Amino acid sequence: MQTQQVSGLEGAPSDNVASVLSFGSRPKSAGLAMRILVIEDDREAAEYLVKGLRESGYTVDHAANGKDGLFLALSEPYDVMVVDRMLPGPDGLSIVESVRKSNITTPVLFLSALGEVEDRVAGLKAGGDDYLAKPYSFSELLARIEALLRRAGSAPENTFLKVGDLEMDLLARKVVRQGKRVYLHPREFRLLEYLMRHAGQVVTRTMLLENVWEYHFDPQTNVIDVHISRLRQKIDKPYDKQILQTVRGAGYKLEM
Amino acid sequence: MSWFKRLVLSITFRLALLYTLVFALSVAGLFYFVFWTTSGFAQRQFEAAVQAEVTSFQESYQRSGTGGLVMAINRRLDPSGRPDSIYLLVDPVGTPVAGNLRNWPRNVAVDDLWVNFNIRSLEGASQELAEARALQFFTPEGFRLLVGRDIREAQQFRQQLLRSLNIGIGMTVFIGLLGGFVFGRGVMRRIEAITTTCRSIMSGDLSKRVAVGSTTDELGRLSQSINAMLDQIERLMRGMQQVSDNVAHDLRTPLNRLRSRLEDATRNIHDPKQRDAIEGAIEDADQLLATFSALLRIARAEAGLQRNFEALDLAAIGEDVAEMYGPLAEEKSLSFTARFEPGIYGMGERNLVAQALANLLDNAIKYSPEGGAVTIVSVLIKGKPAFVVSDTGPGIPDEFKEKVLLRLFRMEQSRTSPGSGLGLSLAQAVARSHNLDLKLDDNHPGLRVTLTFPEAAQAPAKPQASTPVQSPDMALDAAGAKAA
Repeated sequence: MQTQQVSGLEGAPSDNVASVLSFGSRPKSAGLAMRILVIEDDREAAEYLVKGLRESGYTVDHAANGKDGLFLALSEPYDVMVVDRMLPGPDGLSIVESVRKSNITTPVLFLSALGEVEDRVAGLKAGGDDYLAKPYSFSELLARIEALLRRAGSAPENTFLKVGDLEMDLLARKVVRQGKRVYLHPREFRLLEYLMRHAGQVVTRTMLLENVWEYHFDPQTNVIDVHISRLRQKIDKPYDKQILQTVRGAGYKLEM
Repeated sequence: MSWFKRLVLSITFRLALLYTLVFALSVAGLFYFVFWTTSGFAQRQFEAAVQAEVTSFQESYQRSGTGGLVMAINRRLDPSGRPDSIYLLVDPVGTPVAGNLRNWPRNVAVDDLWVNFNIRSLEGASQELAEARALQFFTPEGFRLLVGRDIREAQQFRQQLLRSLNIGIGMTVFIGLLGGFVFGRGVMRRIEAITTTCRSIMSGDLSKRVAVGSTTDELGRLSQSINAMLDQIERLMRGMQQVSDNVAHDLRTPLNRLRSRLEDATRNIHDPKQRDAIEGAIEDADQLLATFSALLRIARAEAGLQRNFEALDLAAIGEDVAEMYGPLAEEKSLSFTARFEPGIYGMGERNLVAQALANLLDNAIKYSPEGGAVTIVSVLIKGKPAFVVSDTGPGIPDEFKEKVLLRLFRMEQSRTSPGSGLGLSLAQAVARSHNLDLKLDDNHPGLRVTLTFPEAAQAPAKPQASTPVQSPDMALDAAGAKAA
C-alpha cells in the first residue's frame, strides 16, 4: 500500500499524490489506521503521548518498560516505533539494536531527555531514524512521525519530483511550475526539495533546520520563515494557487 | 613562558634560593672563623719557636760572647738541622760573619722587631724567590743577628686553606641552587598538574580529578581537598541538572498540553475574532516554550564536553550562518558583508559554535537600525582563529558589558524588541565551554563582538564528516537515505 502511494512522487498521475496527502494528515481516512508502538516508562508522559496519537487517528500500543517493549516490537507489526532512551529493563538503545538484528526495518523515533549531540549520534548509530529531545512539542512529534511513515516506503533515489503543477528535476537542477522555469538559489532548491518530498504533510521549522541546513540549534528568530517567504516569492506569488502554506503553530505544508 | 622562566619565578625556587643564601652566609662565617683561628695559631707557634731560638742565642752570647754566638749559629746550620731556618750575623759595618744569608736584607730597618723580606731559595741552585719572616737581635758590640724561617710553606698552607674554604662555600651555594632547582621542579610539576586539571574542569569536564601522589605531604592533602570539593560540586551540579530536567518535564508537559488543547479548540471555532485570540495564546505558549528550550540549551552548552570537539572550518560555519541570516538583514535593508578567510580551523562542537555565531549575528541584525551595516568575518587575530561580528546599532555601554552576558538580562531600551534575552548568554555559555574568548567592543557606532579560539587547529585530514558535500540528487536527509 505504501509503495503504491509513494509512486505518486515519481511523476505519476496526480490523483495518486492526493492519496499520499490523505494518509499523511488524516490516517483514518486511508482505511487502515497506522500502528504505532510507544515505549515510554513515564506514566504521565506516556498517557499524554498515547492520547494525542489516538486523537490524531493512530492505533497505539504502549509498553511501560524495556522488556515488554522489546517483546511487542519483535512480535507485532508496527508502522513506527517511538522509543524512550532511558527505560527500566533493556534501555532504548539495546531494544532498537535487537530489533534491527532481527531484520525489522520499522522506522524508530527516539525520545530522550539527553538532547546533546553525542546522544543523537548514538541513537542514530543504534538504528534509530530520528531523534527528538525532551521536552518536545506534540506537533513536532506528530510531524516527525508522519515524516517517518512516509519515508518507510519512499524511494529516496528519485531524481524527479512532482507535486501538482510543480516539477523538480534533481539531475538537471531544474524547477518548473506550469511549464515555466523557476530559478532558485542552491539552498532554496534544497528547501523546496525537502518540502516536495514531504508534500501534503506538516514540516516543522526544526525539521527544516536539521535536514536542509544540517544544524541542530535554535535559530532564535524567524530565519526559516524568511527563507520560506523568499521561496514563496518564486514558486507561489506569480501563480493563482498558493501551494506553500503556513500551518499556524506547527510549520509549513506543501499542498496540491 | 619557558619552563626555566616559570621555574625561576616559582615560589618553591625562590624559597630555595633564599634558603641557600642564608645557608651559604652562615657556612662562610663558620669557614672564616676556622680559617682565622687556624692560621693565627700557626703564626703564634712560629713566632714562639723563633723567639725561643733568639733566647737561646742570647744565652750563648752571654755565656761565651760573639764567638760563642757564631759557634751556636754554625751548629744550628748543620745539615741535620731545620732546612728552612734563616740565620745571619753581621758586624757593625754590615759584613756577614755567620749564617746562611749572603747579605743583610735591603729593606729591613734597624729598629724593626719582626721583619718580612724576600730571599733567594736556600736550596742551592734555584733562583726562586722565597718569603721569610725573622726577628732581629742586637749585641752590645753592635753585631746584629737575624733569626727567621722561610715562611713559604706556611703561606702556601694558608692559601691552600683559604682556597679550600672558598671552594667549600662555592659548593654549598651550587648544591643549594641545584637542590632548589630539583625540588622546585618536582613541586612545580605537581602544582602544574593540579592547575591543568583545574583548567580542564573549568572548561566543562567535571569528571577529571587531581592526581594525589603522596597523601602525607601538604600538596597531597591539597589535592585530596580539591578532589573532595570537586566531588561535592559534581554532586551539586548533577542535582541541579536533575532539577532543571524535572522542571523542564514538569513545566513543559502541562504547557504542551495547554498548547495542544488550544490547537484543538481552534478547529471548532469559526468566529475569526475568537480564533485570533486563541492563536495569539498559542503564540504566547510557543514563546514560553522557546525561552524554556533556550535555558535548557544554555545549561547543556555550559556542561558541553570537549570529547565531542573536532576541527571546524570557520569559513564553512561562517558561510552557513551568513547564508541563513543574510535574507533577514536584506529584509531590514541593512548592508550585509560576510568575509571568511579560507583554511582557518578551530576546535569545537559544530552545532554549538554555529549556535553562538547565529545568536551574535541575530543580535547584530536585530539591533541595527534600518539602513545600517552588519559585518561577519572569520580571520586569524595574532595567530588565533576568530569570528568578528559587528553592527551599527546602539552598542552596549561599558557598565552593561558584563551584565548583558547574564541570563535574561536585557537593557531597558531593548525590552521592546522581540527576543528572550538569552542570545548573548547562550553565546557566552558556548564560549565558556569551548575556552573561547567573547569580547564586546565599541564599533563607533555599534557593537563589535569578537569570538576568539584559544589556538588554531590542524585541518582535518579528510573533508569534515559533519558537512557532507552532497550531490544534488542525493540531497535527502541522512536518516532518509539510511531507511532506503
